[in-house]
Amino acid sequence: MSAILITLGFSAILAFALGLALGVFKNIFHVEQDPRVAQVRDALPGVNCGGCGFPGCDGYAAAVAAGAAPVDKCAPGGKSVVEILAGIMGVSASSEEVVAVLRCQGSKEKASLKGNYVGIPTCRAAKLSAGGTKTCAWGCMGYGDCTLVCKFDALHMGDDGLPHVNYENCTGCGMCVAECPQGLFALVPKERKGSIVLCQNRSVVKPSVAKACKVGCIKCEICVKNCPEKCITMENGIPVTDYTKCTSCGVCVAKCPTKCYKMLEDGVIRFAPAKTEPEKTEEPAPVA
Amino acid sequence: MNLAKIFISAFLIDNIVLMRFIALCPFIGMSVDVPKSFGMGLAVTFVMVMATIVTWPLYHFVLIPLRIGFLQILVFILVIATLVQLVEFFLKKQVPSLYGSMGIYLPLITTNCAILAVTFDNITRGFNLVESVVYAVGVAAGFLLSMVLLAGIRERVRTSPIPEFLKGTPMLFAATSLLAVAFMGFAGLVK
Repeated sequence: MSAILITLGFSAILAFALGLALGVFKNIFHVEQDPRVAQVRDALPGVNCGGCGFPGCDGYAAAVAAGAAPVDKCAPGGKSVVEILAGIMGVSASSEEVVAVLRCQGSKEKASLKGNYVGIPTCRAAKLSAGGTKTCAWGCMGYGDCTLVCKFDALHMGDDGLPHVNYENCTGCGMCVAECPQGLFALVPKERKGSIVLCQNRSVVKPSVAKACKVGCIKCEICVKNCPEKCITMENGIPVTDYTKCTSCGVCVAKCPTKCYKMLEDGVIRFAPAKTEPEKTEEPAPVA
Repeated sequence: MNLAKIFISAFLIDNIVLMRFIALCPFIGMSVDVPKSFGMGLAVTFVMVMATIVTWPLYHFVLIPLRIGFLQILVFILVIATLVQLVEFFLKKQVPSLYGSMGIYLPLITTNCAILAVTFDNITRGFNLVESVVYAVGVAAGFLLSMVLLAGIRERVRTSPIPEFLKGTPMLFAATSLLAVAFMGFAGLVK
């Protein structure tokens, strides 16, 4: 019994003494910190997403206050945080708010599987062991690695086997862009208007694309030939739109034989209660 | 003579990383380049000696008379962690230059397994205070040596053609095991 009492008493006294010593010493050896570190830290959202490339918000705040990092790296904070940071640091900054766009429409019905994958159910494992589960080696595998890294509840797997971005929540932090083993996500400015091709298949063999996916880019280049502004070029097997020239005329969307061209402002980045990534999928809001 | 024996055996023969496989985490994690591994090694030396100087009397003059020697794990961890924190405060305020070169490694080794292993060794091997300090310096020097050796190897590995499956940590463990085999040659150096 006395051993227990001695143990308890000793532990309590030791812990108290050490805690007291730490507290006292911290005051004695207090070092003046740059007050801007605390100000910057307070302005940041504090979600520690790591999207800025620093170890959490504390790391980024220290780097900003030291002048070692630009003020516009905090994607979740958006424009308002950039402006506050710019005010604290006395620099001018302009920033665009970006959101993530999934550049694949290969849903369960539209893209065929090349076999029955029964391995570890993550995109990364499927990509490493089997080179992907779909006939299209570039397509979304649909195991939802991206939904797991999203800290803002902005990515959810839909019934069609594709992740859907909830643009009300997406902050453009870029975690899904880094996570997707297929590199299917792209960060696109929220306000951008114009056409985008929702396919990453680089195969130039038309029958192989057509066989793999009903909405794949078959490299017909009809979009390139028909664009009145001549703003579409083929880059590494994918048509790329020059947004400085694009007028959102919709010719490429109308002419695309496989419907892999979409307008960003019409159906891709959609701010509605029913979030959607590619054209359809999400059921409309229930009507009372 | 006895002290030299303790030092050599702690430094080379029973090298804490390569022979006893303790403290592998900072060994792999911090041996990115030679200056960094040197800084880490110095910080470990410092903390190891400090911890020995504090825990040895604590055990023999407090825990033993109170007959609570079984509390040594708890007490040692608490005391070492607090001590390192205090030293960090002190360095930050009084010797900022030293803090800049060594201080960033201090939090990494507050309750590092090597530090704790040394303090326990001092008790179980029945060293007196002077022997304990020599032992701690020896172990720390061994840690520093193996860190710098691996850091040197890593700088060569970075530019060498390595098979894909060995790239990264596997290659480091392969190098570590070869280093360990080399260190087996020191066995028998002290009778």
